[in-house]
Amino acid sequence: MRVRDMTWRAPVTIVADATISAAAGLLAEQGVGALVVVDDEVPIGIVTDRDIVVRGIAKGVPCDGRIDSLMSTGVIALDADEEVEELFGVFARYAVRRVPIVEGAAVVGVVTLDDAMVSTVGTLSDVVGTLAAQIAFPFARDEPPTPVVIENP
Amino acid sequence: MHAQVGDELVIVGHRVGEPKRVGQILEVRGADGGPPYLVNWDESGRRTLLFPGPDCTIKHLGDAEEGST
Repeated sequence: MRVRDMTWRAPVTIVADATISAAAGLLAEQGVGALVVVDDEVPIGIVTDRDIVVRGIAKGVPCDGRIDSLMSTGVIALDADEEVEELFGVFARYAVRRVPIVEGAAVVGVVTLDDAMVSTVGTLSDVVGTLAAQIAFPFARDEPPTPVVIENP
Repeated sequence: MHAQVGDELVIVGHRVGEPKRVGQILEVRGADGGPPYLVNWDESGRRTLLFPGPDCTIKHLGDAEEGST
């Protein structure tokens, strides 16, 4: 499976000099947990609802402050043609929960860890089923295992 | 921000003791040298597609440092 197959959520962007209050409103309005922060339409960071709470509200940053003061800088992205295994690699290596997906230079969507889990649950259940069978029958082969007889001393 | 293949991309640490990250730009996918860039990181050898943030600088091949966005 390629990451484009699980990219059903268009990116929600906000300009770098928007206020924290405006960002919070956009999160609520769009029903998303993160915004891609752009400068002249080029992504420069990501800000999450948690960033607003932890880096903003908890530290007394005024709501009319700039949203780019709370964002995580730099955006690790993935090409839409990459396989899903690479996506999980990015989640693991960089401890992120959202990865923008790009075609060429354009961000065409944002895939969350939740999205990836939901999209791969069928594959995951196949793996779990195989694993469960191996745990239940660790010596499965063509011939049934020879029973072990323990005699009383 | 503008770059070309072979340029060095540097991200400075945000905390005391945090090392800077250095990588080489392998691909420039945006128009006119713009991001995203495919970067090969020196410390890990891994490749990442990156839209750099304002904490990033680009050193052109055999040239002086360019300011960030």
